[in-house]
Amino acid sequence: MRLFGRGCSFVERTTTAVAGGLSSWERSDVEKHASACAECADALRDAVAIDVALTRAFAPLRSRRTMLAPGRVRVALGPAPEERSSRWLRAPAVFARLAEVSVALGVVLFAVSTSVEAPSGAVAPQPHSVIREYFRSQPPTEDIDYFRWLRLQPAERAGAAVDLVRLPVGGRFDVEQVETVINPTSTPR
Amino acid sequence: MKAAKPAANADQRGDRELVYAARDGNMPAFDALFYRYRDGIFRLGLAITKDPSAAEEIVVDTFARAHRALARLEPDDSLRPWLYRVAVNLSYNRRPRKNVVLSSLDDAAGDTFANDEASPSLLAEQAELRRIILETVDALSPKHRLVVVLHYMNGLNLAEIAQVVDCPVGTVKSRLHYALRRLRTHLAAHPELGIEPSRPLLATGLRAVQPITAHLPVEDQ
Repeated sequence: MRLFGRGCSFVERTTTAVAGGLSSWERSDVEKHASACAECADALRDAVAIDVALTRAFAPLRSRRTMLAPGRVRVALGPAPEERSSRWLRAPAVFARLAEVSVALGVVLFAVSTSVEAPSGAVAPQPHSVIREYFRSQPPTEDIDYFRWLRLQPAERAGAAVDLVRLPVGGRFDVEQVETVINPTSTPR
Repeated sequence: MKAAKPAANADQRGDRELVYAARDGNMPAFDALFYRYRDGIFRLGLAITKDPSAAEEIVVDTFARAHRALARLEPDDSLRPWLYRVAVNLSYNRRPRKNVVLSSLDDAAGDTFANDEASPSLLAEQAELRRIILETVDALSPKHRLVVVLHYMNGLNLAEIAQVVDCPVGTVKSRLHYALRRLRTHLAAHPELGIEPSRPLLATGLRAVQPITAHLPVEDQ
């Protein structure tokens, strides 16, 4: 039983019959029923009228055509895929790709290793060397380097003469001039 | 003498043979399928999107998908429902472009309606009726409108429509019945269409049975 069932159950079949969804004997069955049922007769008449009206209304649309060419589909598909070659013909390409990858990996590892600085605390103290100490204690030969070196020497090594020199105030030295004693070992060669 | 270019529908092979040939790389077979169904898909896309350029893109996309799916496509009898189903999905998934005013189905008909033999007044009357009917179809819900469009514009039978919309045939019958009933309600205000207004059921039951003046259309077998 249909919920809220109203009217004849054949009404829906009238639409189906008009739409061509019934076989010939089913269609004649609907016609026979409609001749005895007022509701189905009205539904059938209206369905035929609407069917004719829709068919006429859609007639101009049914004649719409497009001039599309199949080339548009090929463009949309993109380039044709290359034919598969045999395994042996593809082997050089595989090795070439492996070589590319290994070279790229080496470049990356080199760049990473050179860009990362070692921590300062990790520097091992160099062993004591008499020769290095000797050359470090020798004054430079250039004038400016020599004076800079001389200024950085410890006071006892420079003879403590530098601090005794004062600038003159009022046209005369405020302290007695002392003769500068240069360490004979510090003289330039 | 140069050979004439083969007509679009010159290939008399069935869809199954054309699909199998296209699967083997025979592009003329695929072109034959394209020429066979491009207009129908174009009209379907036009009816849904109401945009001719969008409808052409739908045609291209539908056949591009068909070409990619050739390997797994198994057409039993006809390729048409499968193509229409793809086209319907593409049409509904396509977002309307900006700054494009979508026209109605009547505008989509374009200038193709021409009848030199009819008088101008008759042509105007027919155009007005067509506009009213197509506007009423436009007012239907999408699933009911789709059934009407597929049947009356693309000429699909109920079984093919069921394949396109992926539902049982009974559902298609029900939707078509509902759509025609809605159309009957809306178009009853136009007596020139020959559609009587809906009558109350009680009155219908008490009315005397009238002879059927409209006969069912006989299909060409």
